Amino acid sequence: MILGVTIITLSVLVNQITKNTFTKNNPDLDVVVGAKGSPLQLVLSSIHHIDIPTGNISYKNAKKIMKHPAIKFGVPISLGDNFQNYRIVGTDKKFLKLYDAELEIGSIWEKPMQSVIGSNVANFTKLKINKFFVGSHGLIDTGDIHSEQPYKVVGILKKTGTILDNLIITSLDSVWNLHSNQNDILKNTDSLEVTALLLKYKNKTSVFSFPRVINKNTSMQAASPNLEISKLFKLTSEAHKIINYLSIIIVSLSFAGILFTLLNNINERKYDLAILRTLGFTRERIFSIILIEGMTISILGSFIGLILGGIVYKCIEFFSLLGRNIVTGQLDFIYEILTIWFVILIISFLTCLIPGIKVYRQNIRNTLLNS
Amino acid sequence: MLICENLSFSIDGHKLLSNIDFKIKKEKDLLITGPSGIGKTTLLSILCGLQIPTEGSIRYNDISLYSLSENKIDEFRGKQLGIVFQSFNLINAFTIKQNLQIANTAEGSEDTDHIYDLLERVGLADKSHIKVSNLSIGEKQRVAVARAFIGQPKWIFCDEPTSSLDDKNTDIITNLIKEESLRHKASLILITHDKRVQSILNFNEILRLGEVL
Repeated sequence: MILGVTIITLSVLVNQITKNTFTKNNPDLDVVVGAKGSPLQLVLSSIHHIDIPTGNISYKNAKKIMKHPAIKFGVPISLGDNFQNYRIVGTDKKFLKLYDAELEIGSIWEKPMQSVIGSNVANFTKLKINKFFVGSHGLIDTGDIHSEQPYKVVGILKKTGTILDNLIITSLDSVWNLHSNQNDILKNTDSLEVTALLLKYKNKTSVFSFPRVINKNTSMQAASPNLEISKLFKLTSEAHKIINYLSIIIVSLSFAGILFTLLNNINERKYDLAILRTLGFTRERIFSIILIEGMTISILGSFIGLILGGIVYKCIEFFSLLGRNIVTGQLDFIYEILTIWFVILIISFLTCLIPGIKVYRQNIRNTLLNS
Repeated sequence: MLICENLSFSIDGHKLLSNIDFKIKKEKDLLITGPSGIGKTTLLSILCGLQIPTEGSIRYNDISLYSLSENKIDEFRGKQLGIVFQSFNLINAFTIKQNLQIANTAEGSEDTDHIYDLLERVGLADKSHIKVSNLSIGEKQRVAVARAFIGQPKWIFCDEPTSSLDDKNTDIITNLIKEESLRHKASLILITHDKRVQSILNFNEILRLGEVL
C-alpha cells in the first residue's frame, strides 16, 4: 500500500507540477527565435531555462525581426553564465514586464554589471542589495568565474511564482561586456550576439506564416512555445501512463494483501472472535472491529505513501538542477491527490467488508466446538 | 426465574434433547447431570443463547430469550450471564488481566477496580500480567471463573468446571464458584458428573438427562 500510493503521489506531483510550471513560465509568448537546432531545446532553454541553448544569433538580425510587421514586440535574451547554478539573463527591461515583475526592494539596473535578482535567488544565495557577486561560465556552476567583473545587486524582485524567481536579470551590455572586448563592441556592433528572441505577434494570423518565413529564409529557427511543450507532454504522457498503470497494479496488489491479511487474521483469530461473542460482543461490534483494523492499515499505509511521495518529490526537486527551475507553491494537485486517496479508501472499505461479512456470519458454537 | 419449556434440539435429523422442562427460582442452583454425549453441553449452549433450539422456549424472568434478535441475545448474555466453559475459552494471546478487561468491555463497564478485586479472590492478582498460554490448567480454570463473574451476572453457567483438575484444585475451584455465586446472589447452573463437586455443592434442583423424569 505504502509503495503504491508513494508512486501514485509522485506521478501526480510530477505531472501536475510540471504542467503548472510550463504553463506559468510562458508569459503568453507566441514564438521564440534562435539558432537552428532542436525547436524544443530552444523553447526549454530560452523560456523555461532548463536546457542549454541551441547557439547564438546575430543581434543585428534580431533587431530586424523585432521590426517585422507581424511582430508586436520582441525581447532579446542572452545566456551564458550562472551564479550558484542560477542563470544570469542579459536582456532589456521589457523582459520584466513579461512577468509583471515588481521590485521588492531596490531598483532596476541602469548601468552594465548591475542586476536584479529573483526572490528564490535572493533566498537561497543570500545575496542582498549592493552586494557583489561573480558569475561562472556556462549554465551550471563549474567554478570557472568572471572574477575580473563582478555584478552588483541593485534590486530584488517580488515572488512571481514563475521562472523569474530563479533568474538573475541584467542588461545585454553586461553579458556582452563579460564575453567580448569592450573596444570590439564599440567598433563593431554587428558582431554582437544574443541567444534568443522572445516574440509576441500583433495578431494570431501570423502563427503559421511567420515561423515559415524565419525557418525557410534565414539561418535561424522560429519555434512556438505552446506547440513544443504540447509535443513534449505528448511524449511524456505515455511514460506517465505506464507509471500510473504500474502504481494501479501495486495498489491493487496491496488491496489483495490487505484482504488476505485480514482473512488470514480472522482465520487465526476466529476462536478468539467467537469467545468475544460469548462474552457479549454483538456481531455488529465484531464486524466493526474487523473493519476498523483493515481501514487502519489502509489509512496509515496510504497516508504514509502520500507523505513519502511528497518527500521523494521534494528530494528530486532539491537535488536536481532541473528541479530548481520548477515552480512550486501551487496547490492545484491537492484535489487530484485527495481524490485518489478517497478512491483508495473507498476500495479499502469494500475490501475490508469481505472479511467483516465472514466474521459476521460466524457460527459461535461450531467455531468453539471445532477449536 | 429461569423457565425452560418443552425444549427440544435435533441435529442432522437426530433428536439430541427432547421435551426438557424445568424452572429455577432466583438465587437457586441447578445441577445438570447425565452420561457423556447425552447433550448436557448442548443444553447449556441453548440456555446461554449460543445454540437455537429446534423447539421450545427459554425465559429469563419476563424475557423470552429466542424471541430476541441475535444482537440482543449477545447483549443479554454479556450483561446477565456468566459462563465457565469446559475448555475455558480464554484468549491465549492475552494476559489474565486483559482477558478480564475484554469481558468488562463487552459488558459495557469502564470500572476496572472489581477486576483486581476478583483476581485477588481467585488468587491470581500477582499474576495478572502473565499470558494465559503460560498458565497451568488450574490457573486457567480460576481465570475462567473470575471472568464469569465480571459484570455482576445473575445466572452462572459452568460446564464440567473440574473435569481436568486434581482433587486439590477441584476443591478450590468448586468452593470458589459457590462463594462467588453466593456473593453475587447469582443462580448457579452447573454441568458435571464429578461426584466430588456434587458433594461440595448443595444443589436445590437436579436435572438428570437421559433419565425418564
